[in-house]
Amino acid sequence: MSRRARLWLVAVGGAGLAALFVAAALDLPAFGGDHHPYGDRAVHAALTRRTANVIASVNFDQRAFDTLGEMTILFAAVIGCVILLRRTHDEHRGRPAPEKVARPVRRYSLLVLPVALLTGLYVIAHGQLSPGGGFQGGVVAATSLHLLYLGADYRALERVRPVALYETGDAIATSAYVVTGLAGLIGGSAFLANTVLPYGTFNTLSSGGTVPLLNAAVGMEVACAVVVLLARFLDQTVEIEEGNGK
Amino acid sequence: MDASLPLLVAVPLLGAALLVAGGRLVPRPVAETVGCAVSAGTAALALVLLLNSSPPFLEWSGGWTPVQGQSVGIVLIGDGPGLGMAALASLLTLASLAYSWHYFDEPPSGHAGSFPALLLLFQGGMCGFAIAGDLFNAFVWFELMSVVAYALTGHRVEEARAVQGALTFAVVTSLGAYALLMGIGLLYARTGELGMHAIGRGLDAHGCPDALVLAAFVLVMTALLVKSAAVPFHFWLPDAHAVAPTPVCMLLSGVMVELGTFGVWRVYGTVFSGPGGVPAPEFERALVTLGALTAVIGAVMCWYQRHIKRLLAYSTVAHTGLFLIGIGVLKPEADDGIALYVLGHAGVKAALFACTGILLDRYGSVDEHALHGRARELKGVAVLFVLGALGLAGLPPFGTALGKSVTEEAVGGPLTVLYVAASAVTAAAVLRVAARVFGGLGPRPETGSGYETTGSGERPETRHRLSRIPDTMTAVPAVLLAGAVAVGVAPGFAKVVARAVNETGSAGVFTSVHWTPAGVLLGLVSTLLAGVLALLAVARPKAFAAPDRALWLRRLQSGHVGDYVAWVLVGTTVLGALTLPGMLGG
Repeated sequence: MSRRARLWLVAVGGAGLAALFVAAALDLPAFGGDHHPYGDRAVHAALTRRTANVIASVNFDQRAFDTLGEMTILFAAVIGCVILLRRTHDEHRGRPAPEKVARPVRRYSLLVLPVALLTGLYVIAHGQLSPGGGFQGGVVAATSLHLLYLGADYRALERVRPVALYETGDAIATSAYVVTGLAGLIGGSAFLANTVLPYGTFNTLSSGGTVPLLNAAVGMEVACAVVVLLARFLDQTVEIEEGNGK
Repeated sequence: MDASLPLLVAVPLLGAALLVAGGRLVPRPVAETVGCAVSAGTAALALVLLLNSSPPFLEWSGGWTPVQGQSVGIVLIGDGPGLGMAALASLLTLASLAYSWHYFDEPPSGHAGSFPALLLLFQGGMCGFAIAGDLFNAFVWFELMSVVAYALTGHRVEEARAVQGALTFAVVTSLGAYALLMGIGLLYARTGELGMHAIGRGLDAHGCPDALVLAAFVLVMTALLVKSAAVPFHFWLPDAHAVAPTPVCMLLSGVMVELGTFGVWRVYGTVFSGPGGVPAPEFERALVTLGALTAVIGAVMCWYQRHIKRLLAYSTVAHTGLFLIGIGVLKPEADDGIALYVLGHAGVKAALFACTGILLDRYGSVDEHALHGRARELKGVAVLFVLGALGLAGLPPFGTALGKSVTEEAVGGPLTVLYVAASAVTAAAVLRVAARVFGGLGPRPETGSGYETTGSGERPETRHRLSRIPDTMTAVPAVLLAGAVAVGVAPGFAKVVARAVNETGSAGVFTSVHWTPAGVLLGLVSTLLAGVLALLAVARPKAFAAPDRALWLRRLQSGHVGDYVAWVLVGTTVLGALTLPGMLGG
């Protein structure tokens, strides 16, 4: 199709879709109303399970089955990446030479690394109490390791990051989530039912029943997944070189 | 018993996670055995649940059963159609795992478990989508299916085409997923609910449908029609099927595409069929129009292919069109017919892909012209391939024939002609391939090509070209074809399927489904038509070659992602325009 024809199609299709959207948006409920049927129910349900962070309660208790799907999507993406970014027959692995790092960059990254890592772990651990949780904390923790790549060099990063171990950790975290769900089925009433553990005292680290466990599983899964994903892409750019067209 | 419904998702996901965790420790046969065992176990569970699904039941994940009619949890639907699709997906996953036993070139080092793990994740996603009763939950499993399917499609990264096919697949389907998410957002804004039945009740309580309902309908349907590859959302499908490994094609064509159609049926029936939703005539107009267009374009394009996998892919497009028409007419008999048709089609189409995979791995080509007469030695495969073609045409007693004849009687009129024609043309194309490749009949076609994908010079998916065909690779298509026949002849099976479908679909209107003389006759007519067309095409290749005036149709399949995206936008607008008229009055 010519460029012109394609632009025409996009214009026609886009205009139709835009018109539909505008018309739909005009029918949306007005902003700032006090009618929140789902919100009210979710807050109530979170409080009965003594989970201070209602969003964590929605993610890991009320709609934990969705979260299973979401974490599995990430898990599938990691396996997909491992398969698609494998070293193929016509590629070979080079040894990247260390690059000189400016001293302030080195100092700053080595200083920030432990702080960032600790922040990530904190965000995961307090998922059921305050904003954040496994998804967010996992990303922070995983990226903090990569400060080594900025501050030192690629080999230093590789030393603290045995990819195989993280791949296994990713899989174990995913199984842990499913196994916690199965415990709900065996010990409680339904798959992923939060009725197995005591709910604890409101607003303490151990409150919320299985919420902290599922949250931790997701935190571990996300941290490992981000490490593996970044490792695969870094490998592709830093280490793997294409063959000379042989 | 009901509480084990979520296990249909949990078991394959756990199996996949364990395969990845332990995959580097165990040799490949162990990993593959575990994969087969897990998928077989899930299939058995799906069948057991299916047998206990009358009357249909609901399961609330996390034990959040509704209090005063309201719940914060996720509802799963355990009914005949949903569990049937889950069982079909599981059985086909098992079939493709068995087919790919020791099949691939080396997996990435230390990752023996990754291919079976991906197939298990695919199975989990499909099962989750099939039993989802919550729109957002359906979206999550839709995404899981898609992400796994992209990775599986691009499995042979050494080839630029594989990457390109997977990329267009990913872009187009992701667009569909965004549309779905926005549609869910609109419905949630209106009703404050995510469960499908709850949304439907919320819409009805709000009153007459308005622009918001229309937009939500169009957006949600866009996603499902992208998945089911309806014209003009279908462009990803032939590109992906041409490059995906054969076991993956079996799953994509056999059940994933049909799950999109199932989604249309489920979502319309639960969300939009009430007085606050989309009126029946509008839904019928939209689906029958798009379905007819899909059937015609799919059949024509199928006829003009020489790349065998692309040819089969287009036949899937054509059949999707027939499925959509059947669902669109909103008659209980048509729903029953489509359910049987989907079951039969899954067996037949997966078997045909399996046979094509044998050609690819033995001759390194899936080009109808280059393979002329070369596969004469493969007598057994030839028989399977021809049987598959006859099943596609709807020869009694295949399940496809029963399903098609029941649907034909329900839709009636000119649509019946379309059913006969589309199935005859696609089957004729397959028979033509069989006659040339396995029989060496007719003059040798020219191998020179203009604007077309030939399918020669493909790399086999096995490590070396096969000199002897492994038993698993021939046993799987044979079993699949036997299953397709069983759908048609197993006594009482059709009645059970019809009952299961009607229990959820048509609010207690039960219909009886059986072979009728007219149906058998129509099946024989389309088979005869297919045979005659195929023979003519083989005998006079010049007269039946693609005329220049059909070239524009082929040029639409340009491989350019931008074109496909443009078509998705146009399709969404067309869908809106088709649904609009009856909703203006409200």
